[in-house]
Amino acid sequence: MTAVENPASQQDSTTYRPSPVQRFLPFAIAAAVPFILGSTTENVNFWWKALITVVVLAVVARMAWVWTPRGELTHREDMRLWRTPSDRSWAAVTTFGLLVLPFILASDFTPPMDFPWATWFAVVNLVLIFAMGAAAFNLLVGYSGQISLAHVAFLALGSIVGGIVGVQWSGGNMWVALPAAALAGAVVGAISGLPALRLKHLYLLLATFGFHFVMMLVWREYLQEYFGFVGIRFKGENSPRIASWLHWLPGIDPDDNGEFIITGQFRWYWVLMPITVLSILFMVNVVRTREGRAFAAVRDRDVSASLLGINVARSKLLAFALSSAVVSMSGVLASFYIGSRGEDSFNVQTVLNYAIIIVVGGFSSIQGAIFGSAFFWFLPEWFKWAREELWIVRDIDFLSDYPSEIDLAIKGFLVVIILMFKPDGLAGLWKDVKGWISRSLARRGP
Amino acid sequence: MSDEILSFENLTVQFGGVRACDAIDGHVKRGSLFALIGPNGAGKTTLVNAISGVYKPLPGAQVRFHPAGQPTEDLLSYRPFQIARLGVARTFQNLGLFMGENVLTNLLLGRYIHEHTRLIEGGLFTRRAVKWELAARQAIERVVDLLDLGAFKREPVGDLPYGVQKRVEFGRVLAMEPELLMLDEPMAGMSVDEKQDMIRYIYTAQDELDMTVFLIEHDMGVVMSIADHVMVLDFGQKIAEGTPTEMQQDERVIAAYLGTEMAEG
Repeated sequence: MTAVENPASQQDSTTYRPSPVQRFLPFAIAAAVPFILGSTTENVNFWWKALITVVVLAVVARMAWVWTPRGELTHREDMRLWRTPSDRSWAAVTTFGLLVLPFILASDFTPPMDFPWATWFAVVNLVLIFAMGAAAFNLLVGYSGQISLAHVAFLALGSIVGGIVGVQWSGGNMWVALPAAALAGAVVGAISGLPALRLKHLYLLLATFGFHFVMMLVWREYLQEYFGFVGIRFKGENSPRIASWLHWLPGIDPDDNGEFIITGQFRWYWVLMPITVLSILFMVNVVRTREGRAFAAVRDRDVSASLLGINVARSKLLAFALSSAVVSMSGVLASFYIGSRGEDSFNVQTVLNYAIIIVVGGFSSIQGAIFGSAFFWFLPEWFKWAREELWIVRDIDFLSDYPSEIDLAIKGFLVVIILMFKPDGLAGLWKDVKGWISRSLARRGP
Repeated sequence: MSDEILSFENLTVQFGGVRACDAIDGHVKRGSLFALIGPNGAGKTTLVNAISGVYKPLPGAQVRFHPAGQPTEDLLSYRPFQIARLGVARTFQNLGLFMGENVLTNLLLGRYIHEHTRLIEGGLFTRRAVKWELAARQAIERVVDLLDLGAFKREPVGDLPYGVQKRVEFGRVLAMEPELLMLDEPMAGMSVDEKQDMIRYIYTAQDELDMTVFLIEHDMGVVMSIADHVMVLDFGQKIAEGTPTEMQQDERVIAAYLGTEMAEG
């Protein structure tokens, strides 16, 4: 191998190391500014906040971009989750965005053209719950290659555990129900994965679908035994709350009755966002370490994987257990967030929705699950707004006569388009966009 | 006995009515380069598959593996992943790589048996997980340097030329640090230069990394120049065994390779 003389490689060979302060400063700013903005919510105009947001976004993106190690990387640097300037830049932007979003959404603001600002917050929270479940689903189906339709069964399991542990035993203690659901999901998930040891592809799909119906039966029996036809109420007296011994925490401002109940979109966001981000980070870390690599190996060639010393059966069951644990947790969150779960809360359609999410988002990409669920939840909102407000479109009676059918048709059409022209989904599209931005920035020089 | 790393006796593998390997005996000396040759369909790959646990031989067969300083193991009582953990690694004739993953991931998978990160440790990226990950990368570094793979580290394996893919697969088994390295036609489809490189790499594995090499190869020239001991298979039967020079003069071998009439004429 002879070294090729080109400017790019010479640029790479210039070694640069940021100081530890420089490494973390962009992220510190990205984390601090939203709370400074948030603490002045009442007095500051929305447009000022929007302007500050854009400026800070640009500044942290630039800082993170410049203060990135360059040149020959050590193993430790090469291992980092955010390794390249582009990765670090987007990570800083995402950190800032996730933290500033609730403050912007909660601010008093009338958007032009009656854009449905108020409903957005609810949609964002749903996206968070779905992103967590879809990422876990994608880890199993896309990344580990174990086709499963038992996804909704684990959402139901989450509701059952939420009902038993969170409502019946502890009267609305979601914090206990979450780890309990993770544990139950892991155990039941490993059991539901047993057919995967013998079956593949379509046969596995059918076997897991059988598991779906078994779980639906369990769910119905459980409901009728303890709750009757009304279903489980996860709100009101069963709403999750912050225990009184934690009220000293910053930002916890108890209500008049001395309790801090998680209710309303703003408070829910601060519960859902960290849990979703942490569980997705957990899965990303699994994928880039030993057992996660084994998942991919088993997916691609199981014979070859076993000759590398991977216990294929164990690896498959681990994938099932991990995915089901996270899905069950998202089931608990969804139950408490939505507030009630009844007989018809879980159906086959929901499995298809998750399938749409991961296919549109990008198969076997955990990031894709986030894009997919955003697509899935925001699109109907946009359609609704377009039907009601958008010039010309609002005059077409046909659209407002059959709203849900047309939503479904457009969604289906977009799925076909994406599958035909962008098989790696929105995550692939995003990668292209990122590449394009990085290249055009690099051309101009840092 | 003690200088034998692998011995197999009466090894028969049957598919339906076809005996792909018929009562084959063989002994591989520790540290040697053992070559298995034979025409297409002779049962060479089947023999390797039987040793590495992919195929089950008929009852009556014995496969013994003797790792240095450890008791002799009966490989037939183990499953493939356990055999790999005992220190037997192999490559595939038509590549056993994970084509969608990059070179680094493929090589790191070779360190699977030497890392001890559990799923939860990996997910939390604990200190221990980082420690094992660093250790794995340092081990990979040596392989990358030896095989000149540095330029391709982040490339998906499926996008690389065939010769490089072969090198990646060889790198992966080197990363496993096995005692017995079984290579199934590592030079198939390679150019003369690439073959020279591969021979150099195999020598390095044998001499510097103290591995015993069990080589399946088509190219007689290569085998004759590098093997210590040669076994010849034809139609599932062992037809000859000995040093390369003996094999070159063996009439049955010549007949198997060139056809009977040619040998007579």
